[in-house]
This record gives sequence, C-alpha cells and structure tokens, in this order.
Amino acid sequence: MEKMSRVTTALGSSTISGRTMFCHLDAPANAISVCRDATQVVVAGRNIFKIYGLEEEQFVEKLNLRVGRKPSLNFSCADVMWHQMEENLLATAATNGAVVTWNLGKPSRNKQDQLFTEHKRTVNKVCFHPTEVYMLLSGSQDGYMKCFDLRKKESVSTFSGQSESVRDVQFSMKDYFTFAASFENGNVQLWDIRRPDRYERMFTAHTGPVFCCDWHPDDRGWLATGGRDKMVKVWDMTTNRAKEIYCVQTIASVARVKWRPERKWHLATCSMMVDHNIYVWDIRRPFIPFATFEEHKDVTTGIVWRHQHDPYFLLSGSKDSTLYQHMFKDASRPVDRANPEGLCFGLFGDLAFAAKESLISGDANRKPYPGGDRRYPIFFFKKPDLTEQFAHVSSALSVFESSLESKRMDWFVKTARLYLLSGKPFAELCDHNAKVAKELNRPQVSTTWTMLRIMFSDPANLSTPGPNHIGKLGTLPLMNSFSMKEMGMGTESRLDRSKGESRQDNIHLELGNSLINSNNDENEETEGSEGQAEYMFGDAELDDDDLYSMDMFFSLVFSAEEQEYTLPQEAFPLRHEIMDNPLAPEHLQQDKADSPQASGNEAEVMCLTPIESFSLISISQPLFSPHLPAPFFCPVVREMLSHYAEQGDVQMAVSVLIVLGDRIRKEIDDLTQEHWYMSYIDLLQRFELWNVSNEVIKLSTCSAITCLNQTSTTLHVNCSNCKRPMSNRGWICDRCHQCASVCAVCHHVVKGLFVWCQGCSHGGHLEHVKNWLKSSSHCPAGCGHLCEYT
Amino acid sequence: MFVARSIAADHKDLIHDVSYDFHGRRMATCSSDQSVKVWDKSDNGEWNCTASWKTHSGSVWRVTWAHPEFGQVLASCSFDRTAAVWEEIVGESNDKQRGLSHWIKRTTLVDSRTSVTDVKFAPKHMGLMLTTCSADGVMRVYEAPDVMNLSQWSLQQEISSKLSCSCISWSPSSSRAHAPMIAVGSDDSNTAYSGKVHIYEYIENTRKYAKAENLMTVTDPVHDIAFAPNLGRSFHVLAIATKDVRIFKLIPLRKESAVGSSGPTKLQVQILAQFDNHNSQVWRVSWNISSTLLASSGDDGCVRLWKANYMDNWKCTAILRGDGSPVAGSSSQAAVPSTAGGPQHVLLQASSAGRKKAQLIPG
Repeated sequence: MEKMSRVTTALGSSTISGRTMFCHLDAPANAISVCRDATQVVVAGRNIFKIYGLEEEQFVEKLNLRVGRKPSLNFSCADVMWHQMEENLLATAATNGAVVTWNLGKPSRNKQDQLFTEHKRTVNKVCFHPTEVYMLLSGSQDGYMKCFDLRKKESVSTFSGQSESVRDVQFSMKDYFTFAASFENGNVQLWDIRRPDRYERMFTAHTGPVFCCDWHPDDRGWLATGGRDKMVKVWDMTTNRAKEIYCVQTIASVARVKWRPERKWHLATCSMMVDHNIYVWDIRRPFIPFATFEEHKDVTTGIVWRHQHDPYFLLSGSKDSTLYQHMFKDASRPVDRANPEGLCFGLFGDLAFAAKESLISGDANRKPYPGGDRRYPIFFFKKPDLTEQFAHVSSALSVFESSLESKRMDWFVKTARLYLLSGKPFAELCDHNAKVAKELNRPQVSTTWTMLRIMFSDPANLSTPGPNHIGKLGTLPLMNSFSMKEMGMGTESRLDRSKGESRQDNIHLELGNSLINSNNDENEETEGSEGQAEYMFGDAELDDDDLYSMDMFFSLVFSAEEQEYTLPQEAFPLRHEIMDNPLAPEHLQQDKADSPQASGNEAEVMCLTPIESFSLISISQPLFSPHLPAPFFCPVVREMLSHYAEQGDVQMAVSVLIVLGDRIRKEIDDLTQEHWYMSYIDLLQRFELWNVSNEVIKLSTCSAITCLNQTSTTLHVNCSNCKRPMSNRGWICDRCHQCASVCAVCHHVVKGLFVWCQGCSHGGHLEHVKNWLKSSSHCPAGCGHLCEYT
Repeated sequence: MFVARSIAADHKDLIHDVSYDFHGRRMATCSSDQSVKVWDKSDNGEWNCTASWKTHSGSVWRVTWAHPEFGQVLASCSFDRTAAVWEEIVGESNDKQRGLSHWIKRTTLVDSRTSVTDVKFAPKHMGLMLTTCSADGVMRVYEAPDVMNLSQWSLQQEISSKLSCSCISWSPSSSRAHAPMIAVGSDDSNTAYSGKVHIYEYIENTRKYAKAENLMTVTDPVHDIAFAPNLGRSFHVLAIATKDVRIFKLIPLRKESAVGSSGPTKLQVQILAQFDNHNSQVWRVSWNISSTLLASSGDDGCVRLWKANYMDNWKCTAILRGDGSPVAGSSSQAAVPSTAGGPQHVLLQASSAGRKKAQLIPG
C-alpha cells in the first residue's frame, strides 16, 4: 500500500500515479466528479462543495465553492458533474430544484455562472453532453427532463417521461442525439434530443426504482442499469427490443453503476443503503464480485473512475465524510477467499467431492502455495496475471463410493443386528457374539468375546471347548518355552495376584506408548504382534503359524497377555492373515460336536491330561482354577473397553458393557457409561437401526438413557367409526361401542402392527393397507379420503 | 476401492460446499450461483436432484443439515451477510407434483455486517441451536427456543475476535463430562497473528461461551475445521485444513474442584499428525462416521484419505482424483472411473421428508 505505482494510461502522454489514500471532508458527500485530466475532483453534498487536487500522496483542497455568509439552497447539491471538454465548467443539481452551472474561470470568489430554476422538485441528475460544450441535461423528481443550452437563459426543451420521478439521465457516448433516462417506476426510456414530444423507446428494466444507468464507453449498444431490486442489468440496445444480456445480483439496492475503463466486461457499483462497499463485477460471472473496496464506514454515494482510460484508480465519496482514492491492486478479491472445493464423508463411507474444474483437470490455473511447491523447481513458475483473470468457472461434483465388497460400514450394521445382548446365559451370549465377529472377519473382537466368557463364567459352567481347543493348538515346544519362561520368573504361585499386577503395569506402559507417544521411533519393533510375542517369549523361535496359534493360546490363558496382545492389534485388523489360520469358533464347534463331555472342573482336567505333557498340567492347573475371582479381571476389562471406545469402536464397548452387566458396571463411572451409550445410540439411529437402538436403551442401566424411550409415548387415536377421540381405556369406542381397531381391508380385529390414516382414522393391518394403497389411493374403508402412506 | 460416480450438478458457478444429512441418504450442495440443491439417493444408488432454489443474493458458502428430529431442515450462509434456515414441505398429495419437495425459508439471520462464512447446527442433545461466523470475526450463537417453530431464533451470544472467521465446528461429544465446545478457524492471511484456531467452551455458571484454548501453532490461514465424531472418547480430535492437514488431540484436564466450574476446562493439546502432501492450500477436511478416516482436499484437486494405525501414526491410505482418474504413486489404486451419466430429474422420488401420514402402533 505504501509503495507507489505508476500506471501509464492509454493516452500515453499523461501518467497517473498515486496510492490508496483518503481525506476527511467536513460533511457527507452526495456526488463526486472528476475533471478531464484526472488531476482534480469535485465533491458535492448538502453542506459541502469543494474541489480537491489529486496529488501523489494526498488530497489537497484547492477550492471551496460554498461562499458567502449564508449559502443559499442552491449550494445544496444532489449531483455534480464536471464537463469533460471544458475544464472550467461544472454543473450541479440542487435539492431545491435548481440547476446551477459554475465557471471556475471567474475571477470573483463566487464562481456561480448560471441558475436555472425550472424544475419544481429536487433535481436528481445533471449530465453534460460528452462532446457538445453547451448542452446540459437534467432529470428531476418532478418527472421532467430538461435540456439546457448554456448560451441561453432557459431550457431549450423539456421531456416528459410521464412515468414518475427521473433518477438518472445519461447521454449516449456514441449516438450524438440519444440519451437514456431511468425512472422510479422501473422504466428506462430512450430519447432523441431533437424530439421532445415522445420517447424513442421505453422498457421496464427493474421491479422498483431504477436508480442509475451507464452507457458502455466502447460498446455503443450496451446500457447498464441498477435498481432497488438489487440487480444490475446490461441491455443490448442495438436490437429492436432492448435485450437483457447480463444480470448481476448484488446484495443491496444499486445506487450507482459505472463501467470500468478499458475493461469490456467490468463495472463498478455501490449501494444506497446497508452495504458500504464498492464492488467491481465481471458481468460474465455475475455471482461473485471481481473486486471489492471496503474502506468506507457509511454508504458510498459517489463513485467515479479517475481517468476515462485508466482502469486502476477509482474515486469515491461517502456519507461517512471521506473521499477515497482506491487502487485496484489494493482491492480485496472475494473469489480468492472463496472455497473452491466441498468435501463430505457420508454415513456409508462414501465421499462427496465438488471441486473447481480447473483444479481437477490440471495444474494450469493452480495457484502455487506461497511457500513454493517442492515438486517443481521454483523457476518453473510462471506467474499468470491473476489480477485480471476472472473467466467463468464451474465445479464438478462426484461421489466416491466405496465398492460393494469393502463397504466400510457394513460390519457395523451387521454386528448391531446380529449381536445378542440379552435373553440367554452369559456364556452363550459371548459365544454367539464371538461367532458373529468371526464371521465378519473381526478376529480380535471375536477373541475378546471368547476371553470374556472364560474370565467371567463360573468355573462350574465353564464349558470345555476352550481348554480343549488350547490343547489341540498348543504344541509341546511352545508349552515348554512358555513354562520355561514362567519358571524362570518364579514359582507358579507368583502367577497369581502379584503377577497379575506386574502385568497391569506393563499394560499401562504399553498403552501409554501406543496411544500417546506417536513419535516413537521403535514403531517397527512394536508393530503388530511379533514384537509383543518376542517380548513375552524371549528367544523362542517360532514360525508365523505357530505364533498365531500361540497367541490364541495365550489370549485364552492369560487375560493380561491377551490385553497386551489384542489392544495393539485391534487397530490393525487386516494386517495379518489371521483368517487363514485355524480359528477358534470353528474349533469350538467341532470340538463340541465330536466330544460330548460333561462340564466342570473334572472335564477340564480330563481333556487336558490326555493330550498334554505333565509340565502343562502343573501349570495349567492354577491358571484354570477357580481361585481367580472375576473381579480380578475387572480392571483389565475396563482398560479394554476404554481402549475400544478410544479406537472408535463404541459398539464393542457398549455391547460388552451390556452383556457383562453387573460384573463390570461398577468399575466404570456413570458418566463414561452414559457417554458410550449415547454415542452408540446416536450411531444406531444414523443407520436407522431403530430396533437395536431401542433394545440398547432398554438394556442400559443409566437412568439418563433408559428414560430416552419413555418420552412422547402418548398416541391420540380417533375412533374409525365415529371419528371422535378415543378414551385411553382400550380399543372399544365409548360412544359407538365399536371396536376401533378393525382392519378396513379384511374387517378382522388387528393384533400386532396397526397402521391408520391420520386424516380419516381408518386403518388396519400394515400389510393389507400397504397392498391396498399400491393399487388405490383412496381409503380402503370407502370414506373417499385420499390416504397417504409414507 | 472407490468408484467415482460423477453427477451433473448443473450449478452455474463454483460449488462451495457439499453436505450429507444425518442418515447419509440426502445431500445438499451450494454454489456461488446463489442456489442450493438437494439430492436424494435412489435405491439403485443414483443421486437425483429433488430441489433447487435460489437461496441468497450472493455466493452461498456453506450448507448444513439439522438433525432429522427437527424435521428436514437446512441452514445456509452467504456472502450477502445473512444465514437462512430452510424447511422442506412435501407437495400436497393431490398435487400434480406429488413428491416434489418445496423448501421454505423459515428465517433469515441478519445480524452480521459482513459475509457469513460458515453455519453449523449444534449436536442434537443441545436442542435446536446453530452458530454462524462471519468475515469480520464475529461468531454468533442462535437458539430456537421452540423446536417446532423454526422461524423464531434468538441470538444467544456474540463473540468477536479480531481475525476474520472462515469456519466453525461443534464438538459432537454428547458426554456430560464435556462442556459444549466450538472451534473457530480464521483465514486471516497475516501470519503475524498466531493462533488461527480458537476454541470456545460453554461455562455453566455464566451461561456463556468463553475462550478455552488458542492453537498458537496454527499461524497460516485456516479454511476448514472439523471435530471427529466422538463415539465415547474421553478426548476430542480436531482436524484442521490450513496450508497442510493437521490433526490435534484435545484432552480435557479434569479439574480438582470440578463442581461449579467458573472457567473453561484446561485442555492439553497434542498434535497427532501434520501432512503437507497436498503441496498446496488444503480447503476441506471431513471425518468418516467412525472417525477412523479423515479425508482432505486441496488445491491440487485431489482427495487424500488418512488413517491411523494402532500406534496413532497417521498415514495416507488413498488418493482420489476429482475426475476419478487414478493417481500415479497412490498406494492403493483408487477410483475406477465408471462415470455414470448425470441423473435425470426423477420427480416421483418419494421423499422421506415431512410429517408422516401413517403411524405404526402395536394394536
């Protein structure tokens, strides 16, 4: 802004330079006008009439035309115009109806030259002929336009628009005899200056007043009009009927419109109220201003391009009593801040993406990031002249759909539908859910369910498949390495609580590492289960298959280890092809099938002993003994649930919470539980799983949740016979003593789902009504009502 | 992995925002051409435009859906300094245009004196509330005291900051342990003002929002901001689109004297990830519903998908080009171009909107 800029104009000889600057006026301005050589500007208002010189750095007051001790109303200007041919000639339109001309060449202080008091009301506009020195046109609130010859004392001709007040008059730039006038009733008229009896052409340009019009400086046929309807319209006047060729929607009523010099498609507008900004529009892209000037604090009343061949300097006067010179390079460009892209993730993992076409198609118009694009050396950048680029743009909209096989949220819906949360013994619920998870390729979740079953089942009810399965999977060398390790750590008894506690610490450590320390350089080492396995097994040499089966084994045996193992891998479900390995549930079933066994401790020992070596027995005895009470696992499970929740699988957290019920509830504070429930219910409702959502609500123990489905449970029903409101005592109407719940299609009493029309109160079996309304739009009861089933 | 289905949007200027509704079956687009269009997904997966209307007298920057509990309601905000709330009315049954929906303007929020750059509804559990932010740096919180009356909105609070605001996001957490929280991003281009993201929290005692955090490390203009779906987490995750993609983790620090908190909760701010793979301005970020995937789009015309592994290391998992062409060097070959033709205007598409004429009860 501080930097000076020099701009050579089309005139060549004269050079305009300057910067964005302003000066305070003593009073609000109503209009401004600039002299032909762009060195001076006149500001006119109700209480101001001054000429300022435009210097490089500032405005300098040159002359005050309001002279005399008590200035007459003739000084109160609604409009001012500086003659473009005669440097000393000015005209003003006074609010009292006078048209005044001023001759700056006069030696006296009072420069007033001529006074025409022919209009009866305020003169809104004065306009000099662009080439004729003595011809002046005025348009007034009284509905008349007058043409003055400055060599005569009174008007030469009067034009009656016969359509209300005149807001603007403008001589055509090219047609010597033509001028346009705009009116408060929305009309625009074209006149020939030689024929004051009748307009040449009239058309309705706007709804509401047309405040301004401006002829295109180069294109002879184009007229821009602006109205209170917030629109700027560009008319092609060369054809027989005025044709609207462009329309710009602005955000407030348009008070002034001025074509930008040397730019065919640009025009500047300012507003009459509300909006204080000046906008420059490219009419080819009528939705976003090409540039805005936001300096004024009150309504901008006058705008004028400083020089008729220079597009970079704009002068403006305002009701805030300032006069501004705006530099185009300092304008703000709304389009630069406009977002060229839209992006949204859908519920089912599909992605809607709208982007500017040029962004997608190539890098042609791409703006490099100021820091530079590292992909290309810096000298490849050719800076396009962005300042004047503003072609029509459009966006391409597309939806990326995740292909059917891998529909991303299907697992959620299926899991929600298939999980059993109540109604069966605990162990069966776990088994069922484990199976569901397994079938949906979620081995970790499945394992967790299995683990939960083992941890929380009464020893007496502990079904045998678990240990049996271990026995089959766990190979002897594994067992040995395991037992060696444990032996090394101490006696078997230390596997008890103390052991559990030390494991707890490890878990915390691991969780801490994995969740918080994302800069961990040893990612590779801890990634997946290998690292964990090594940590647990020391030097044991294992191939992959063994590793997994062993993991499985351990997850079944040690809850603590299982935690360490499942937690990290959960976020990584597909990395290892666990599915290729023998899977727990299948084995479970298989084993169940081919070994009908008694339950209980005895069975446990029995099935272990025949298969495994003596060392295993000695270890597994304490592990599977009922000496580990369920509460022992609670902290672990709590950690696990939190982990699932933090990983975004609130479904698992809530399902486990419900299935475990009292076993775990006290371990987790109510707020968290409520939070989980709320989140899960919200998700279910998004997927329109209303039944599941209701089940969850019913099964929850949080008071805040259970009350969710107890609001708005009242239904008001009308009797289908007499159409009166039913009492709440059942389905027999008080008045007509008929059963109100008779199906209108089959005439039987409906038991189950009853659907009825709220318009005519008739209804019936859901299926019947559905089928009926497929073929007919009328009520099945024959009442003639057009029922609607949505 | 992804199939691109291009839609003939037929907007006459740039599309600035796309928004899915709660159930993911409807979509709204808004454009500089001052119109909003609503798209409904048909059973065969095609998107059909069911409504298109002129909403504002300026560019429409954003459009957003309210929770369906409040009806089929949209909010839009515009360069014309207003935000508007729209409700869908399904055509009368005996109407020729059966099924064609009409959107009715319920209110215009005219408090802003400059362009309204973003509008967002609050999470459902807070009732019918929305916030707007504007280019002059004012954030406004509105509430409809009567959820049945969408034409009455009262201005609850105005918060001014010196920086022009560009985007806003509500924390979606429904936990009572989390106070309502709003993050506001600024696109002020002056990097001297650090902290382009402000986080406001509702203070129960004063019933006002107060500044809880200022992300000082974000110094470049922020164009979009999005809280991840909370899903029962104890912390918040915030994605920011600035010159790069950033993911922050905000951990509320439980205060000792939790009762009657008079000030905002202290937040521990961690940066989880930062990517400049777009090599340009990033314009948009969006989370998937399980908050495991983040999508970002930048001036390079590509959408990138980010996913965390179990170690919370965020990695790019896919790059999608806007026109569906695969991107060289993309780890997973994305976007098989199967350009379905533009949807025809299917007028008889039954809409799920409006009040149900039939109800189900156990008989």
